[in-house]
Amino acid sequence: MIVRNAIGAGLPVRHRPCVGGLMPEAEKLVEHFFRHESGRLVARLTASFGTRHLGLIEDVVQTALLRALSSWSLRGILPDPSAWLAKVARNLAIDRLRRDLRWNSLDAQAPVEVNDWHDSFDAAEQEIDDALLRMLFVCCDEAVPAESQIALALRTLCGFDVREISRALLTSEANVAKRITRAKEKFRTTNVNPTALTPTMIRQRLPSVLSAVYLLFNEGYSSTLADRLIRHDLCEEAIRLALLTAEHPLTAGAETAALVALLLFHASRLEARLDDAGSVLLLEEQDRTRWDAALIAEGFRWFSKAAAGDEVTRYHAEAWISAEHCRAASFRDTDWNRIIRAYDLLVRLAPSPIHELSRAIAIAERDGPDAGWEALQAIDAGRLPEQYHLWAATAGELARRRGRIDDARRFLIQTQRIAPTNAERELLQRRLELLQAQ
Amino acid sequence: MPKFLFVYRNAAEMDMAPPSPEVMQQILAAWGKWLEQVAKNGNLVDGGDGLQPTGKMVRPGGVVSDGPFIESKELVGGYSIIQADSYDKAVVFAKTCPIQANGGWIEVRELAGYA
Repeated sequence: MIVRNAIGAGLPVRHRPCVGGLMPEAEKLVEHFFRHESGRLVARLTASFGTRHLGLIEDVVQTALLRALSSWSLRGILPDPSAWLAKVARNLAIDRLRRDLRWNSLDAQAPVEVNDWHDSFDAAEQEIDDALLRMLFVCCDEAVPAESQIALALRTLCGFDVREISRALLTSEANVAKRITRAKEKFRTTNVNPTALTPTMIRQRLPSVLSAVYLLFNEGYSSTLADRLIRHDLCEEAIRLALLTAEHPLTAGAETAALVALLLFHASRLEARLDDAGSVLLLEEQDRTRWDAALIAEGFRWFSKAAAGDEVTRYHAEAWISAEHCRAASFRDTDWNRIIRAYDLLVRLAPSPIHELSRAIAIAERDGPDAGWEALQAIDAGRLPEQYHLWAATAGELARRRGRIDDARRFLIQTQRIAPTNAERELLQRRLELLQAQ
Repeated sequence: MPKFLFVYRNAAEMDMAPPSPEVMQQILAAWGKWLEQVAKNGNLVDGGDGLQPTGKMVRPGGVVSDGPFIESKELVGGYSIIQADSYDKAVVFAKTCPIQANGGWIEVRELAGYA
């Protein structure tokens, strides 16, 4: 998984004379070059022309990419493909805007600013990152529902098409199209100029941006139904966007660093958490040699950045929990004391019965199933309507460990009936079979 | 060695959704690989170029009309020039061209070589 260089999908090839205009095999475009260029161009053009032209901007970016495809297929990739694409897309946008203006001369408020990045096709990476960050903050507008924010970010910033988004989010193409169209309609009627977002507005919107990024990651991480490739892409994109906020001067800080650390720790287990048949493996079942050591190391680097300063956020608590798991050489080596302290912090910073549930599991690991059972009973399960099956699954497991086999069976069967995914039902089936053997 | 003009043709279906950026990159990679195969043993004379989808049609009497040429059900997307010992050998190259994966086809024409 590319993490560090994923943001600046910048200049993938070096100029070198090559016969017949063909690129030697080694000089391929970086992975996802087209997709990321699409995001960079949409962000830059939106920064120049405002969200009211988002539809037009997406059209011209697509046209520019198609021209690149048609020309580079036969003549080879140009020495500076990013600059070429930027020039073509920008010229197309200006032509289209001029034409639209002629059609609708009443719309005098929409001046075509021709000189904005006219002489700076080779804009500094920082300038492009700025446009990307601002576009992310535009997508995460409070007036746009969370699910539309994610679809819009995937479309505009990550360059996925509707079909790919529907595959990634496990929802219909029509549904995705609807979410995006609604958001775009809002931005068309109420123009947003991304460059006009003030530092104060950006700070105010940061929490919802981070939670959208976290949600995006979870879509990739938690889903066992979507195919592996697209799950990886989603996690990678979430990390890319999290890094964007953590590295940009406007939003860098302890909170964004903690989110990056958290996502990297989770991502390190992406491969190990499913078996070959696609069933979920619990932490204790995972082969820790399959955890990605490079991502863990990078996670710790960001974790120590997050620790600088006084600010402690829910992402710190979650990253801490994840860090403790990553630190443990085996499940038996897990430091449950520290993990429970981290859960205490998490429950305080982000009260949620789900966090209490995880805390009860940690307590069972440290103090035995009776103590875990007690902690579980203290949770108001009525506050868990959507995820009640997790409570019942935990209850079943703890009952088994306490030797209450009948209770365990009852809870597991109940859970199996309400578990939302096949992978979870299979996991429960394995647990039930284990019970029979006891 | 005889030279052949490869004319890349695509169905002109305007309502077809264009490929996503990720798929475009895959298509580009497939073309790069294919042309490299052709070039490997010196069979590539000129990679050629893609063509813009629109153009001008000039007819006798100075009648100029704009493309796209709606009357035809196909678009010429580009061309290359390839050399091979025979038509058969040229067709072997054409058969492995990635254009077919995307619904296109190739017209292979031998250059007359009058010059």
